[in-house]
Amino acid sequence: MKKFIFASALALLMMSGCADKMDVKVVDNSISGDIDVLSVNERIQASSGLKEIQLHGENDTDEYIKLRYRIEWKDKDGFSVESLQSSWRELPVYKNAEFNIRAIAPSKEAVKYMIYINK
Amino acid sequence: MRLKLVLSLATAALLFVGCADKTERIDVHNDQGGQVMALDYRDFNEAAAKSVQSMLQSGAVNKRNGDRVILAISRIKNDTMQHIDTDQLIKKIRVDLLRSGKVVVTTAIGSGDTVDAMNKKARDLRNDDEFNQGTVQKKGQLIAPDMSLSGKIIQRNITMDDGKQQVEYYFQLTLTEIKTGLAWWEGEEIIGKRGSGKSVAW
Repeated sequence: MKKFIFASALALLMMSGCADKMDVKVVDNSISGDIDVLSVNERIQASSGLKEIQLHGENDTDEYIKLRYRIEWKDKDGFSVESLQSSWRELPVYKNAEFNIRAIAPSKEAVKYMIYINK
Repeated sequence: MRLKLVLSLATAALLFVGCADKTERIDVHNDQGGQVMALDYRDFNEAAAKSVQSMLQSGAVNKRNGDRVILAISRIKNDTMQHIDTDQLIKKIRVDLLRSGKVVVTTAIGSGDTVDAMNKKARDLRNDDEFNQGTVQKKGQLIAPDMSLSGKIIQRNITMDDGKQQVEYYFQLTLTEIKTGLAWWEGEEIIGKRGSGKSVAW
């Protein structure tokens, strides 16, 4: 019984981790082996009610990479919410180092998101 | 003879057209074109996006009762060697702040082009018999601003030892609470470019 609970808890934990990474898309396949998306955390900022997200990743190579990223925000119904974040922005990533992409939702309506990473 | 002349002229015209570069429209959301030493729209986009993110993350534009902050645009000084309309930066910030639902910008008071003169002109219609006075704005309707956004864009040109030129641009912005005069948010974004010493950045 204990084993079953442990296995279920582990499965749940793995599922939630995978669900987070569903919100990230590495556009260029040539870099998908170079970087690892370790986690995507999100929270609601208490004072404003806006969603905050943070992608935590790692550069697995021995080289400095200049990546680019953009974030598409959507409302609860899946309609896109326009913002300056939808344009590509540079992201310098140092060799064998971790990196973060942190962003705040452009409005309260923006509750879903997709982070695109490109080289 | 005439036929030969016409033929060679036509060939020359064809060659000329063939050599001309085709005009292309830029994808402003994914512009992979080369960088320029001067400021272009990509630089303004980046500086504006980072400033808005920083402002929203700081909580400086959150009112306790959930109301929107009334923002006046103060002087944004262009301290670069280029002819820049600072609205290229400020308009992007205004649009994104308005979309956030946290801020409304007043055009009744501010600096330069940020003021809509019609706010005052429409009030000059008081006591003008040609206008239905019931449709003219009453006194005391304009809303005074809670905060003011001011700033400066600075440029520094540096000649490097190898003859290359480095141009540094500083986008400095300050959000001041008008009631107290306290700057609740300050931001600085730096964009640096390095290129040929022959490049001109003004």
